[in-house]
Amino acid sequence: MENTTIVETHGLTKRYGSRVLAVSSVDMSVRRGEVYGFLGPNGAGKTTTLRMLVGLIRPTSGTATVVGHAPGSPAGLKRIGALIESPGFYPYLSGRENLRVVADLAGVSQKRVDEVLDMVELTSRAGRKFGTYSTGMKQRLGVAAALLKDPELLILDEPTNGLDPQGMAEMRKLIKDIGQGDRTVLLSSHLLGEVEQICDRVGVISNGRLVTQSTVQELLGEEGVLVRAQPADQAQELLAKIFGPEVISRRDGAIYVKVKPENSIEINRRLTDVGIGVSELRPFERSLEEVFFQLTGEKQGS
Amino acid sequence: MIATIRAEWRKSRFRPAFLVAGGVMAGITALVYGLNWYLALHPNAAGERAVNIATLYPDQFVNNVMGAAFPVGAAMAIVVGAIFAGSEFGWSTLKTMFTQGPGRLTVWAGRSVVFGAWMLIMTVVLFAVGVGSSIVVALFQGHAIAWPAAIDVAKGMGAIWLVFAVNGAIGLALGTLIRQSAAALGIGLIYVLAVEIIAVRFIDLINNGAYKWVTELFVNQNATALTRSFTSPVFGRAIAPAVSAEHAVLVLVAYGIGLVVVAAGLLRLRDVT
Repeated sequence: MENTTIVETHGLTKRYGSRVLAVSSVDMSVRRGEVYGFLGPNGAGKTTTLRMLVGLIRPTSGTATVVGHAPGSPAGLKRIGALIESPGFYPYLSGRENLRVVADLAGVSQKRVDEVLDMVELTSRAGRKFGTYSTGMKQRLGVAAALLKDPELLILDEPTNGLDPQGMAEMRKLIKDIGQGDRTVLLSSHLLGEVEQICDRVGVISNGRLVTQSTVQELLGEEGVLVRAQPADQAQELLAKIFGPEVISRRDGAIYVKVKPENSIEINRRLTDVGIGVSELRPFERSLEEVFFQLTGEKQGS
Repeated sequence: MIATIRAEWRKSRFRPAFLVAGGVMAGITALVYGLNWYLALHPNAAGERAVNIATLYPDQFVNNVMGAAFPVGAAMAIVVGAIFAGSEFGWSTLKTMFTQGPGRLTVWAGRSVVFGAWMLIMTVVLFAVGVGSSIVVALFQGHAIAWPAAIDVAKGMGAIWLVFAVNGAIGLALGTLIRQSAAALGIGLIYVLAVEIIAVRFIDLINNGAYKWVTELFVNQNATALTRSFTSPVFGRAIAPAVSAEHAVLVLVAYGIGLVVVAAGLLRLRDVT
């Protein structure tokens, strides 16, 4: 059950006119029960892909299956909760009334409205008009609406957009709580720290193409040891002899050795034994940010 | 479908646009009654009265309120229709509705039913204000209160509802086509208050009216003809309607259905971005 796929796309493509290719041949799979991060810079095609998954826009080509149904089919939508981009509610109605409207449409009991308001901690402000809500409250109401159906699959598109740091932390906690158990969460974001903290697996999209899809651990790569030593060439040669050349790489003057950090003592001893001076020796792990910039071809800090 | 209607009613019942439109209709009707009452009681220098007081008594209230259908009522219906359809795009609520479960056409059918109900409410408001105003006039003038036949009241309400609903459907279709309220209601109002009137005058002049039949297919030519079919001798010499009431009803029903179907097609086929 755990490894069954809840979202699967094959060659999913969306083209606007002859010039704009928003999403290109995306093959994506989300497994039941996981929190899947859909990463990509602004304009990469995340929202377009998610809109296709809930049937708001039609793909130009390719296929998708979501909770066992074609995107946008009433049977499928009954099992999906979605917050796509900004939350869309009626400004002249209260938060509670807005949820009641959604509950009516979704065929959900009105009792559920108060339950989800409680889950997102909006009960005390549920009587206020939506138009008077802060950005954070609006996002919370959007998540509450997505939870109304107690969905198998929850699709959240940039849920922390526009939130202050405290709001972002609260939203992350909320998503973690929501993602407990059997529920699958498909979370799109361009905030790497957010995805790294919350998600089990990630898909990275860039210029409309899914460039990779794997677990966060796989994406970050194997652990290793960073060595700075003098003379560096001699140190690299020796380490290659000890651990094999395939685990050695050199970047920005540092030698990266893909071995377990416990080998640090051995590395230090072997280098100093032959008179090589070691100025830095520490375990290293690539950050998701580094991987992301490498995969998307974007420059850090640009 | 029932769930969709319930949801649509829940969000529309306190909608400011409808409440304001109903209030404006009521206010304008009461004001026009008041002005006509004044004119009926104050002859000009030649002793002529612009309005016959008999037209303001309860037995004539159906014929009297028909004047509110065009252009005021029609314009109001277009504005409400354009806001009703267009604001869903502006507020991004369409995506919320379309991701809950019911199909797009079911959602649209529910919306159309509730919009039709609101047009009926506006019709009832108009008639209620007409009844109230005519009673006030009759009481102050010491005139006996008599009512038109129930069938005439029903026909009158049906006619007004049809005019409101069809013009509202113009607003709905434009709001859906343009995907916003402001431009939709602007275009709708310009069409009803200017374009159609100019077009009718121009077409009537071509080849000594050889293409007059074209104008008989215009929305508000038929709306006007339908409302003018409600009259009585106390209103004086009536302007002969361009088309018969039966023709008008058929054309208006065709427009209403056509516009709702076109809007449904747009919603069904287009992406929600």
